[in-house]
Amino acid sequence: MNKSRMTPRQKSELRWGWAFMFPTVLGLLVLNIYPTFRTIYQSFFKTGDFGKGNKFVGFGNYIKLFKGTEIWQAIINTFKYAIVEVPFSIAIALVLAVFLNGKIKGRGIYRTVFFLPMVAAPAAVAMVWRWLYNSEFGLINNIFHLKVNWISDPNLAVYSIAIIGIWSIIGYNMILFISGLQEIPSDYYEASSLDGASGIHQFFNITIPLLSPTIFFVSITRVIGGFMVFDLIYMVMDRDNPALPRTRSLVFLFYQYTFRNQDKGMGAAVVVILLLIIIIITILQMLAQKKWVHYN
Amino acid sequence: MIKKKLLGLVLSSMMVLSLAACGGSSGGADKSSAAADSSQGSADGGKITVAIWDNGQKPGLQEIINDFTAETGYQVDLQVITWDSYWTLLEAGASGGDMPDVFWMHSNESQKYMENGILMDLTERIKASDKLEMDKFPEDVKELYVNDGKTYAIPKDVDTIALWYNKTMFDEAGLAYPDENWTWDDYYDAAVKLTKPDGSQFGTAMNPSNNQDGWYNIVYSMGGKVISDDKKKSGMDDPNTLKAMEFVDKLRKDAMPDATVMSETGTDVLLQSGKIAMLPQGSWMVAPFKENEYLVANCDVAVLPKDATTGKRVSLYNGLGWAANAGTKNPEAAWKLIEWFSTKDNQEKQAKLGVTMAAYEGVSDLWKNNTDKFNLQAYLTMLNDSDLVIRPHSRATVVWENKNTANLVEAWSNKVSIDEACKKAASDMNELLSQE
Repeated sequence: MNKSRMTPRQKSELRWGWAFMFPTVLGLLVLNIYPTFRTIYQSFFKTGDFGKGNKFVGFGNYIKLFKGTEIWQAIINTFKYAIVEVPFSIAIALVLAVFLNGKIKGRGIYRTVFFLPMVAAPAAVAMVWRWLYNSEFGLINNIFHLKVNWISDPNLAVYSIAIIGIWSIIGYNMILFISGLQEIPSDYYEASSLDGASGIHQFFNITIPLLSPTIFFVSITRVIGGFMVFDLIYMVMDRDNPALPRTRSLVFLFYQYTFRNQDKGMGAAVVVILLLIIIIITILQMLAQKKWVHYN
Repeated sequence: MIKKKLLGLVLSSMMVLSLAACGGSSGGADKSSAAADSSQGSADGGKITVAIWDNGQKPGLQEIINDFTAETGYQVDLQVITWDSYWTLLEAGASGGDMPDVFWMHSNESQKYMENGILMDLTERIKASDKLEMDKFPEDVKELYVNDGKTYAIPKDVDTIALWYNKTMFDEAGLAYPDENWTWDDYYDAAVKLTKPDGSQFGTAMNPSNNQDGWYNIVYSMGGKVISDDKKKSGMDDPNTLKAMEFVDKLRKDAMPDATVMSETGTDVLLQSGKIAMLPQGSWMVAPFKENEYLVANCDVAVLPKDATTGKRVSLYNGLGWAANAGTKNPEAAWKLIEWFSTKDNQEKQAKLGVTMAAYEGVSDLWKNNTDKFNLQAYLTMLNDSDLVIRPHSRATVVWENKNTANLVEAWSNKVSIDEACKKAASDMNELLSQE
């Protein structure tokens, strides 16, 4: 676009556009973009106490990480968590959204109930679940007369935590889906029911294709969110918990290095690895969207 | 389209990496509020901020601080921050932000803070003071806060470990209560007898992270050690340490709930819910314990057992120190407050109010009488008539302590033998110590 050809009105719009964007851009630069590069930079250093006396070690932190076992286990744990949390939270939310988009009694109440976990502080949510799961005194084991170590059995704990994750995020996904559903013209449903299509047919052949841009958006953000899981694990798992090594996520590992062991260089390296993993997965999702996402 | 995708990628990467910023920025938020407080304070004649991590001690300390304000006119804002956030906040403050003016120091961290000039050097002020009697404070605890001959904190308190036991369970089993003649073998026998086969009651409990209030005491009483005297080598593979840890392991297998239960619930909660009969616990827990109805009705305190072979009764002990921020805007007020906390009168007051035992020699007898619900004499006997061992520490204590816990968890969950776990802990710890 050639600036000299702009009308005064366009020029003024451009100026105001920038003016309105400025606070957000400034926030991004200061709070996100600068720290991003700073983190990458820091991952090449052996950091000293209180940010003084950093020593450049090249890829030393990365080599140390990959020689150990913690990072590999953390990657596996993070994948396990995301593989459970993301699809289930999307599928359940989608079904709920379809039901709560229809005309049923007490719709507002149901919507509120499902959205409530989103409003509660994650730390409080985790504390409540921690007691529900407790193997001795927990409500779940006591009601169903079970003897299951939900959060201390190394094979089970990561999935127990994923259930908390699903429970807390369903409402948010559901609201996004409902807003997507309301964009779909009702003519499609009326026409197809005249042709004798069942509700299930309609769901798979009308709802899902037309909702696919929203589903795509939710799955991108949920994958990123799922890979960044930390607070649930941090609140539920004590350091004495035998299942901790098998639930520790990448962000938890980052926390452990950065804040518990005060080795910020190692912590930064962990986050950079997480970044790479998320970039790769996001690229794959972007490529795959051509096959199933319909923009009309 | 490609540009859009690129933008999308960049944005998503921002989301991830800004995590790191999150940690920093939340600390930042705290800092700025603290800063706001202190700047506002300096307007009204020097308000100083004090940070501690134990909520149980707040009421008593607040009372002592109120007296300080009445006496000197300085306004003081006392804040309680949880242990984890406390160190994150101090670390952020020390790395170039604002810090509280006066705060607690712990042996886990003190060395690093002293070496980096984060703490105010109190040496000259102590010399000049006519209210302080530094020779009345325990040598070991004073040592924790001295670097290169300079003193950076004044001892606030001391803590010891004693044995809590459930009288009702002892009565029911027809056993005599623990007394000063008990050896660790008596402890084991009683613990086994108090363990019911249906899993409704166990003799005792201990998590791998219960070090100062747990296995450290047994290790030192059996002649072992956790770290060498020069703080260069681990003692986790010392033959006596191994012997003690084997004893702990035997106790765990025969008289403790499953490791999963202990880790999920916490040993103090197990005692409070009548699940276990005995628990070694630190004197810092007395304040919350005396508020617990079940414990008041059923439990009491005895001294820790001694070892039959060495004849030693050992309590680990530690003491916090009051330190000041080297960069405080109000050094005079900060110093006055520390001096105030450390006078004989206020150390006595701290003991009397039941905040904690005081560091000042002899005044802790008053602490014993802060409650008639338990026989707190046991903690004083541990302080006065047993072998005290200062909590093992080095420059980066937390790092190897956490590593030890992680290694012992493997033994607690029966994945490796206790012998292997300790030897692995020793080699990991040696490597970490060599990097300090």
